[in-house]
Amino acid sequence: MLDVINVAHGEFFAVGGYLIFAAVVLMHWPGAAGVALAGLGAFALGLAVYPLLIAPLKRRLGRRPAGSLYLVLTLGLSTFMQSSLLALAGGDYRRVPPLAPGILELSFTGVSYQRLLVVGMASVLLTGLFVFLAWHRQGLAVRAVAQNPDAAQAMGINLDRIFSLTLALGVALAGIGGALMAPLFNVYPAVGFPLTIKAFAITILGGMGNLLGALFASLLVGMAESLVVMVIPSQWQNGVAFVVMIAVLLLRPQGLLGRASSR
Amino acid sequence: MLEVAELRSGYGPLEILQGVSLQVPPGIIVGVIGPNGAGKSTLLKTVYGYLSPFAGRVTLGDRNLVGLRPDQIARLGAGFVAQAGGLFADMTVHENLTLGGYALGSRRAAGPAVDAVYEQFPLLRDRRRQVAGSLSGGEQRALALARALVARPRLLLLDEPSAALAPCFIEDVYAAIVALNRMGIALLIVEQNVEMILSVAHRVFVLDLGRNAFDGAPGELRASDRIRRLYLGEGPPAGIPA
Repeated sequence: MLDVINVAHGEFFAVGGYLIFAAVVLMHWPGAAGVALAGLGAFALGLAVYPLLIAPLKRRLGRRPAGSLYLVLTLGLSTFMQSSLLALAGGDYRRVPPLAPGILELSFTGVSYQRLLVVGMASVLLTGLFVFLAWHRQGLAVRAVAQNPDAAQAMGINLDRIFSLTLALGVALAGIGGALMAPLFNVYPAVGFPLTIKAFAITILGGMGNLLGALFASLLVGMAESLVVMVIPSQWQNGVAFVVMIAVLLLRPQGLLGRASSR
Repeated sequence: MLEVAELRSGYGPLEILQGVSLQVPPGIIVGVIGPNGAGKSTLLKTVYGYLSPFAGRVTLGDRNLVGLRPDQIARLGAGFVAQAGGLFADMTVHENLTLGGYALGSRRAAGPAVDAVYEQFPLLRDRRRQVAGSLSGGEQRALALARALVARPRLLLLDEPSAALAPCFIEDVYAAIVALNRMGIALLIVEQNVEMILSVAHRVFVLDLGRNAFDGAPGELRASDRIRRLYLGEGPPAGIPA
C-alpha cells in the first residue's frame, strides 16, 4: 500500500521472537503477555522507520523517481537490525516453549496445538485487519492515501502520519507472527530473512498492494509447498515458492488478482 | 477572507505565476479565467499548499497559509476539488463522503455531516453502496462537491468544475455551486468555460502569462472591448446571451 517494499520485514519477525523469548523464558510472563509485548514492541520500532528513514529520503528526492532506493534503504535496515540482534542477543538458537503444548491426534495425522494457535491467531488478525481497513476512520484513510494521496490530503489526512501507521501496523503483525512461530522455529538473528523473501514471492503473486490477493497467494504457495513433496524430493521444497513466483512474473506480471492497468 | 498577494510560483526553475494578487471576500464566488498555460491550476495548487510559492503571501482570515501542507489547510476550513474530482474511485460513495468528514475528527462527528449532505444530494443516498468510479461523469462531479461539503468549509477551491462534462451535467454542477454559495460558502473557481463562470461569479480575475490582466465584476469584463476580444473571442458566441 505504501509503494515501498520493506525488506526489513523479516527482522521484525525476529524481534517478535526475541521479545517473546525475553518475556516468557527470562521474565516468566504468561504467553499471551509475551505475544502482546512482541506486537507492541515491533509496532513501536516500526513507528520510527518512516520518519527516521523513508521520509528524509523522500524529501531529498523531491520529484525525482526513487527507483530502487527504497529497496536498498530497507535492505540496509534489514542488515543493521540483524547485526544489532546478533550483538545484543548472540548467535545462539533460543528455544521458546510452546504457548499451547500438546498435539491434537487425528486418525491420519497429528497437529500440534501451537500450529493450530498460529492458524487461529492468523485468521483473527487478518479479519481484524480487514475490519480496520473497511470501517475504522484511519483504515479508510490508509486506503484513501493508497488510491489518491493528493485527494487524501485535501480531506485533511496527514500523509506522513498514515505512512508511519501503515508501516508500523505491518511490522507489528510480523512481530506477532515471530512470537507465535518462535516455538516452532527457534529464534536466531537471521530467522526472518527467508520469510521476507517468501513474502516477496507472495506479494508479487497476489499483486502489489492487494490484500485479498496476498491472502489467496499465501494459501496457494503453502499448498504448493506441501503437496509438491509427493512428486519431488523434500529438500527441493523451499524452492517451490520461487518457481511459482518466477512463473507468475513471466506470465502475469501484475499478479494473479492485480489489474493490468493498476500500476 | 482569502487574500493572495504578489504570488510567485511554478515548477522547479520555471516561474509560472509572476506576481498574482487576488482577494476572495466571505460568501462570494470568484472566477479565474484565462488561456491555457496562464497559470490557473498553478494558482490553486500554490494556494492550497501542493506547491510552495517562490515569493508572495497567502492568508486565510488571519492565518498565513504559506508553508502549510494541504491537510493543514483543509483543517482551517478550506476545501479543494481537483479537476477530475479527485475521487477515491475504488471506494463506495459512502466511504468517499465519510472521508470528506475526516477533518471533523471522528466518525461520530462525520456521521451526521454525511447525513446532512445526503439530504442535499438525494441521488447520492440511492448510490451510497456503489463504487465511485462506476458513477457517470456528472454524478462523480456531484460526489466530489458533496464530499468537499461534509467538512463544512468556509471556502472551496474548484479546479475546472465543468471540464470534460456533457452540457446537461455542466448545468447541474453549476446549480450545485450556486446552492453551496447560498449556504454562505465562498468559492474560488478556475474555469475554461467562460460563459458559465461569468453567469454565477460575483467577481472575475483574468490571468494571462502568470499575471493579472483584469480584476472586476463580470459586467465590467463584458463591457471591456479589449478584454472581450482577447479572452471571450470577438463578441459573444451565437446562442449564448451576453
